[in-house]
Amino acid sequence: MTEIQRGGTAIDELGPSTEGMDGSLLSVRDLQTHFFSREGVVKAVDGVSFDIKPGEILGIAGESGCGKSVTSQSILRILPKNGKIVGGEILFQNEDQIIDLATEDADGRVLRNIRGKDIAMIFQEPMSAFSPVHTVGDQIIETIRIHQEVSKEEAHDQAIEMLRRVGMPNPARNIDEYTFNLSGGMRQRAMVALSLSCRPKLLIADEPTTAVDVTIQAQMLELLRDIQADLGMAIIMITHDLGVIAELTDRVMIMYLGKEVEHGTVEDVFHRPQHPYTRGLLASIPKMDPGRVEIEPIEGVVPNPYAMPSGCKFHTRCPDFIEGVCERHEPPLTAVARGHEVSCFLYGGREALE
Amino acid sequence: MLIYILRRLLVMIPVTILISIIGFIIIQAPPGDFVSSYIAGLEAQGDIIEPELIDSLRARYGLGEPIYVQYFKWVSSFIEGDLGYSMIYREPVVDIIAQRLPSSFTISLLSLILVFVIGIPIGILSATKQYSLADYSFTVVGFLGVATPNFLLALVGLWLLFKWTGTVAIGLYSPEMQNAPFGLAKFIDLVGHIWLPALIVGTAGTAELIRTMRANLLDELPKQYVTVARARGVKPTKLLYKYPLRIAINPVISTVGWLLPVLVEGEVLVSLVLGLPTIAPVLLDSLMQQDMFLATSIIMILGILTLVGTLLSDILLAIVDPRIRGAV
Repeated sequence: MTEIQRGGTAIDELGPSTEGMDGSLLSVRDLQTHFFSREGVVKAVDGVSFDIKPGEILGIAGESGCGKSVTSQSILRILPKNGKIVGGEILFQNEDQIIDLATEDADGRVLRNIRGKDIAMIFQEPMSAFSPVHTVGDQIIETIRIHQEVSKEEAHDQAIEMLRRVGMPNPARNIDEYTFNLSGGMRQRAMVALSLSCRPKLLIADEPTTAVDVTIQAQMLELLRDIQADLGMAIIMITHDLGVIAELTDRVMIMYLGKEVEHGTVEDVFHRPQHPYTRGLLASIPKMDPGRVEIEPIEGVVPNPYAMPSGCKFHTRCPDFIEGVCERHEPPLTAVARGHEVSCFLYGGREALE
Repeated sequence: MLIYILRRLLVMIPVTILISIIGFIIIQAPPGDFVSSYIAGLEAQGDIIEPELIDSLRARYGLGEPIYVQYFKWVSSFIEGDLGYSMIYREPVVDIIAQRLPSSFTISLLSLILVFVIGIPIGILSATKQYSLADYSFTVVGFLGVATPNFLLALVGLWLLFKWTGTVAIGLYSPEMQNAPFGLAKFIDLVGHIWLPALIVGTAGTAELIRTMRANLLDELPKQYVTVARARGVKPTKLLYKYPLRIAINPVISTVGWLLPVLVEGEVLVSLVLGLPTIAPVLLDSLMQQDMFLATSIIMILGILTLVGTLLSDILLAIVDPRIRGAV
């Protein structure tokens, strides 16, 4: 019997949304995360839904400020102080229970038990992911001992094993080193070892390849692929780099200003992009073709987050803008193929308006 | 690390010599010497001084000789532990310092403990509950504490205590206990007196420490390693004290050694106002009356303590911060 658990008490009456987790490991439904400040409210994530199955690799892509990182912080409930989940559900299938992460106490026992154990995260900057005054091993062992009842020695052995698995050259020595003693590539590996130390079911990688040069980036992707094949966890890959998405992920969701604009398999989205924004993103990637090919940037700039456009958020920059429609109404998600959905009036949704 | 400490100790030798030379020159710099100000004092009282007495005094203290001869005489006896003779107190300098050191040290140490015990937790509270009522209140109190001179606080404290309880909180002991041998009764008397000076001497330091802790911790709290630790399932309390606090407290550790000379000296103005038998008022007296052995000795001791304190702080910092340890 699947139960939804809220704040420690099981609720037998299941809402309609809990139906059909469908074997999904994580199901984010209509997530809304807003930031409150003196200047106003920023709707960083404004109604995003997606599912991820065990062992699947999902990419979330978009420009900076589109809400992709906030989405990942919402899942683990590690938002900055002024960020709040104001709506939606984040359903996580934990053994035989479904837990709504969105309504749990952010620093309560339920979430603390999931963090680092079932859902782990890799961050952008490996240098600052570790405390500068504690050794790499100290922090890995700490994580292991929070989630497993093992002795210090056993945790130590597990930590060394994990460091070896991520390809650290000398795990027995590296475990006692500080991050400032490690090279950039080693730090990345140490960080991966840290997040994988309890073999999570879901790994969220938030721009793990952004702060490193291309050779380390390539190593990182290879490492993630190896580890994924090895441990079989699901991965959410968050990046603005479409190359990374193409190389690593099964499915991709494109976001713009806190909204999902298109999702589908990598094959669909890259070869048959539908949304004008997706097409724009793909056209703005420099090509390796011989000869000079002009790259086509998307017209205009990302709007001020405090003054969001009405209707479709992309209408101010859209080459296919339909006057009288796009600036008045929010486009619904429309399926263009099996598993390939777009939120754009070019593909339907206008009938419902009349 | 050992080599580093040895190197630092070696560097301290020339610096100490430099301090002694500068100290000596500055004390000698004003025109006249102790004998002339002593005579001026006697004459002001209407005494007539015979020239033979003046000469014998000068000869006794070696005041007629060139300054470098005086310096070497003083240095060689200083190294042997003979700090000379105080002309105003008519006692060996060693005895004066020995009498005053315990009370200087007790008051300063107590106020230091108060500074840390009050300052650090309030600083942490202010940072973790930033912009709360408590934070604003402590910020106001903190600024007042930094801005109000301690001697003024001492005066206000004396007045308030007199107004409310009728006691005059001057000195460390009640008059009747002043010359009693140290025992339980005297200790209780001391406890009753010492808290006011300790609190007042510590006020500015506490206020400053609150500000420092708050600022340091606010710098560390949003750092990514804290978020990462949170994302690993670390408990909120551990999230505070194991990680950001460890780093935020480093600047405090790196300056703690500088307090060594302060511990010995005590604070001048508060000591004067509250009539405390610390070393600071003696230093002031000796400087004003050109009591050269006393003044130079105290300055030398404070100088050496400053050097030792700085070294201690650096060693402490290297112990707590591996980044420093790697660099030395």
